[in-house]
Amino acid sequence: MKSLQIAASGMAAQQTRVDVISNNIANMSTAAYRPRVAEFSDLMYQQYLTPGTITSQVGTVVPAGIQIGTGVRPSTVSMEITQGALRQTDAELDLAIDGNGFLELTLPSGEPAYTRDGKLSRSPTGEVVTMDGFPLADGIVIPEDARRISISRDGEVVAYFADGTAGQPIGTISLVRFVNEKGLEALGDNMFRETEASGPANRLVPGTEGVGFIRQGFLEDSGVDVVKEIADLIEAQRGYELNSKVITASDEMMAATTRMR
Amino acid sequence: MSNAIYTSLTRQQGLMQELQVVANNLANSSTTGYKTDRAIFAEFLVGAGAQQDSLSMGGLAGHTFKLEQGDFNFTGGQFDLAVQGEGFFVVQAPQGPRLTRAGHFQLSSESTLIDASGNAVLGAGGNPITIPEEATKVFIANDGSVSADGLLIDRVGVVRAQGELQRDSNTMFVAPEGYAQFEEAVVVQGALEQSNVMPVLEVARMIEVQRAYEAGQAMMEREDERINQLISAVRER
Repeated sequence: MKSLQIAASGMAAQQTRVDVISNNIANMSTAAYRPRVAEFSDLMYQQYLTPGTITSQVGTVVPAGIQIGTGVRPSTVSMEITQGALRQTDAELDLAIDGNGFLELTLPSGEPAYTRDGKLSRSPTGEVVTMDGFPLADGIVIPEDARRISISRDGEVVAYFADGTAGQPIGTISLVRFVNEKGLEALGDNMFRETEASGPANRLVPGTEGVGFIRQGFLEDSGVDVVKEIADLIEAQRGYELNSKVITASDEMMAATTRMR
Repeated sequence: MSNAIYTSLTRQQGLMQELQVVANNLANSSTTGYKTDRAIFAEFLVGAGAQQDSLSMGGLAGHTFKLEQGDFNFTGGQFDLAVQGEGFFVVQAPQGPRLTRAGHFQLSSESTLIDASGNAVLGAGGNPITIPEEATKVFIANDGSVSADGLLIDRVGVVRAQGELQRDSNTMFVAPEGYAQFEEAVVVQGALEQSNVMPVLEVARMIEVQRAYEAGQAMMEREDERINQLISAVRER
């Protein structure tokens, strides 16, 4: 009874889909979250009769053969590359990336990590850090007596002081681009790590070579489209039920067999 | 002697296989680019013994797949492609070129277009498609031509198989007799072709299979009873 296992693989696939959807819905308010999509592909085909098998000595062949599928498996759960809506917050260290690219952070281990969540703040030592306290890799330190910080669209950070002197540039924020953003490994906490599949990190000046601009005073909303997720959820649930019906049918057929003595 | 039992046994066996086909269709009802499978039954003749007429039995003879267009799911993804109407994309799998309708593509770390398993997607010239790394906006036109920031780079290959297709795993097909470029193909960017499985039809088919199986079972039970009665009748004599 192969059909039991086939239907079970279908149920497992729909379950994976529900898991992915529920994670998307849970992150509908997470800054700069990118929705994930589960993709599926069919499994091996059992060859009962290979197409092209010769059926007579005059050279006639089997046109279609018999290949019976063995189920489904999740092939990828990929990140949708979407731009979330930009929400104005007016906080001076709220940054949104308008276009492609990531901010580079330095993890406590010294390794780099990448994020699009631009909710930044000042550490006690004046460093620009994320909400988890990880500093930007650009190493920007805000002087203690700075009254106001301005960040231009191309990442130039300028500090203004109370005494009315001209602004003083204190560094630039660069953006990082990957050839294949879908290949990044999610670390949680809105952070990603570079992998073989993503290609190496490419640090660029904002607004050049395909990376976006930096917008001060904005945050990027989650890219989750809740209506679409709910529609997908319904579809996944029905898919699950359909597969469970196959299990019932197989079971009843087996019961019919065992009734016979 | 028990030809009736043999005949229904072959039928039962076929029904079991058909249920597998239905189960596989339903399991793949959310698989991008999946094509519905169909089992074909055919009669075959078996000699019923010396000086007797031959006996007809039904068995699974072959299978086909419905190549009908699946619904489009508009994802907006830059490298989500679908073929409208006839045609297949070609990917370079390790075992050789494979045809597929599942256009869930992305870029590799070398900036070439690949499918979800990492196989290169082939252009109209039969070579992998490389997108310039600094491209901001990649546009894929209806005829498959790929342009990055207004510059024509390549063309996504869409082909038609010559002869029959065979199924491979990962929603790929093999064209043993080769394939040829299909110039009139229509490529849609930002959409994925959903599975063309129609759940209603599959469930109906499943019920049909199940009932036919039960009918076959009842038939065998009846036959068993008949032989039993015959044996006891002979014994009483």
